[in-house]
Amino acid sequence: MEKIKNNRVVRAIGFNRIVLIGVIILLYIMFSVLTPLLHAGTTFVSYERIMSALNYAYFIGFMALGVTFVIATGGIDFSIGPVMFASAVISGYCLTKYNIPLPLCIVISLLIGLAFGILNGYFVAYRFLPSFITSMASMQIAKGIGSVFTKTQTVTWPGTGNDNSWYRYLVKWNNIPTGFIILCLVAVICAIVLHKTRAGRYMLCIGSNKEAVRLSGVNTKKWEMLAYMICGLLAGIAAIFYVGAYTTVQPGLGDTFNNEAIAACVMGGTSMAGGLASILGAIIGAIIVALMQEGILAMGFTISYQYVLTGLIVLVAVTADIMSRKRKN
Amino acid sequence: MGDVILTMKGIDKSFPGVRALDKVDLEVRKGEVLALMGENGAGKSTLMKVLTGIYTKDAGTITYEGREVTYHNPREAQADGIVIVHQELNMMGHLTVAQNIFIGREFKKGPFIDDAKMNEEARKLFRQLNIDIDPKATMSDLTVGMQQMCEIAKAISHKAKVIIFDEPSAALTEAEINRLFEIIRELRKQQMGIIYISHRMDEIKRITDRVSVMRDGAYVGTLITDECTKDDIINMMVGRVIYEDPKTESQVAPDAPVVLKVEHLNAGRMVQDVSFELKKGEILGFAGLMGAGRTETLRAVFGADPKESGDIYLNGSKINIKNPQDAVKAGIGYLSEDRKRYGVVLQKSITENATLACLEEYVKGIFIDNKKERKVAKRYVEALKTKTPGVDQLVMNLSGGNQQKIVVTKWLVNNCDILIFDEPTRGIDVGAKQEIYELMNRLVKDEGKSIIMISSEMTEILRMSDRVIVMCEGRKTGELDIAEVTQEKIMNLATMRD
Repeated sequence: MEKIKNNRVVRAIGFNRIVLIGVIILLYIMFSVLTPLLHAGTTFVSYERIMSALNYAYFIGFMALGVTFVIATGGIDFSIGPVMFASAVISGYCLTKYNIPLPLCIVISLLIGLAFGILNGYFVAYRFLPSFITSMASMQIAKGIGSVFTKTQTVTWPGTGNDNSWYRYLVKWNNIPTGFIILCLVAVICAIVLHKTRAGRYMLCIGSNKEAVRLSGVNTKKWEMLAYMICGLLAGIAAIFYVGAYTTVQPGLGDTFNNEAIAACVMGGTSMAGGLASILGAIIGAIIVALMQEGILAMGFTISYQYVLTGLIVLVAVTADIMSRKRKN
Repeated sequence: MGDVILTMKGIDKSFPGVRALDKVDLEVRKGEVLALMGENGAGKSTLMKVLTGIYTKDAGTITYEGREVTYHNPREAQADGIVIVHQELNMMGHLTVAQNIFIGREFKKGPFIDDAKMNEEARKLFRQLNIDIDPKATMSDLTVGMQQMCEIAKAISHKAKVIIFDEPSAALTEAEINRLFEIIRELRKQQMGIIYISHRMDEIKRITDRVSVMRDGAYVGTLITDECTKDDIINMMVGRVIYEDPKTESQVAPDAPVVLKVEHLNAGRMVQDVSFELKKGEILGFAGLMGAGRTETLRAVFGADPKESGDIYLNGSKINIKNPQDAVKAGIGYLSEDRKRYGVVLQKSITENATLACLEEYVKGIFIDNKKERKVAKRYVEALKTKTPGVDQLVMNLSGGNQQKIVVTKWLVNNCDILIFDEPTRGIDVGAKQEIYELMNRLVKDEGKSIIMISSEMTEILRMSDRVIVMCEGRKTGELDIAEVTQEKIMNLATMRD
């Protein structure tokens, strides 16, 4: 066991990430076996199922990437789901009702995400509010603002074949999962930022010991705020991939997705205590979350089971994190 | 001294990769104060944790009042009369003294808590200890010393027969320590067995009857306090003689330029109109009792806490330090007394800590230049003789002395000319202390650095400083050249209240 753990490749990827990849395979086998048994006449093993699961993995993945930065600093952001929905709803409304050009609408979506990131970051870093409270408040704002903007109408982005529908190619183009490629590219950028730049170094150090970093003459406020801004921006990006997959968004929703994104992070080895974060883990976590929801639906259960499972996963993952820390001490 | 009440024999305890305790013996008698001494990492705490059931022993026996015992948690040990008074106080500040003492076993009247009874019982305990504390007072309103008395009262209330004091005097003033010793003597008179863990040699001589010494997880021996000298004990602890020679004259040239000048600094109650000068190549000692405002003064200078008024001059020109960023840019480094909280990032590597203060100089394009920062970290690990398998080692795996060297490394990498050492050797074992002293001397002599050293250890002040500033209750009460310093003079100034 120790030998495997000390292998160079294993260490680079991280032992628990390898375990998680095993979990993905196991889940896939399990759903493939159980689906025809529980839901006669159906199958889990199909291209459509994989694409469908990936659709879910994209927006969860982008949000998980973003919140990884915030959790790395020792904070939390519960607003990302509603922020994603607010971005999608408002930019979609701009597109369909005001006929604003599509590229501009995409930019609007990103800016709305970024704006919420700035809001959260300002109050956490510069006004010393607990991130928990700050993001709760901005979650409410995000939920409300989408509804206010659209007068509580559902917004449907243009479907494939219509004008202004090229944004869907970001998700899938000629049966190629372009969304997955983009997610991986963004993940690589995130990993570089987190592990190879000053910003990432400072964020992780702030998560471990903020006061020591401040007393080292580092402008901790600035870097902490940046983490929330990245998180917000990625929620704005997630919005595009959400509508790219599903086209329809309702204002006032989205809070269940926070927990799934956070669950993906924590599962992947990002510590809720801060200072320790894994980008690869967040992506693998997002895939597990997506696979589970696909499997649950395929087996004929309602999505409510997914909520129960997500809750349990968070409990297990955080407990495991705390236990491993205790052992180290 | 009475009969033996507690015997630990052949105690073994291993952790993955470390043999923490190796066949350790310990014997405590009724009505004695037994000092347990050893360098940090000698195994004192581990032994006490085995005794009180926090750790399970691998081998050996514990005999208590004639029967063999094994405790699985501190509660069991407590119920049996073995209690520990921790260094960090475990008190709830918003509760009253009595509520704290009886927490978890409150007296009840029907379904309700009987506060009157708790106050009465607490009062009885205090009377037994000759302490004057109001059981109804809110805990957070008490001084640290009084809080500790409450902790002791709490221990007694468990019908304790063996009490372990784990570095009880670390946070106390001289007067409070005297008070503590009176209480310990009272407990001794009541035939309790007392284990007293401390690094302060003078206290050991004052309060203890016997001294048991541990080194590297093993039992070295036991001495009768009255029959041994300080050097005997230190010899047993480190296996070598340490001379603590005081400095007799300043090593700074009389015409050395002033690098830092602070004038009329004010920052709250703890810093009132403080002025001083630091010369190039000088070690300026800040002496005083706990709570004299020394840390607060230097934190204000460094910009860690806001100041109300006062001017700071660096090499003759006035500078405005609003926050630590400004101070670090000006070449001032602060080494906190609480390294783990304010000095290092424990979960990060030596390299990452080394470049924390000036990471912008280790960036190529947008990327951190890992090779360059590892190189500089390696250079300082070697120069400072930091004991570590490599520069990728996490700082949390280093000992206190080596962690301190990492903080020094951080400021040297940033090329700081002025270093503020706040209790430079607190929590660092005797051998490593020596190295820190040598390092500080080298920094002023060879590297042209200037050092401000806050210290509560008289020997440290006498040994290291070229000049000594004494503070008391937020004010500077005196300034002495090392040639004229005596312990009595410092003590006199340190207690000079208006």
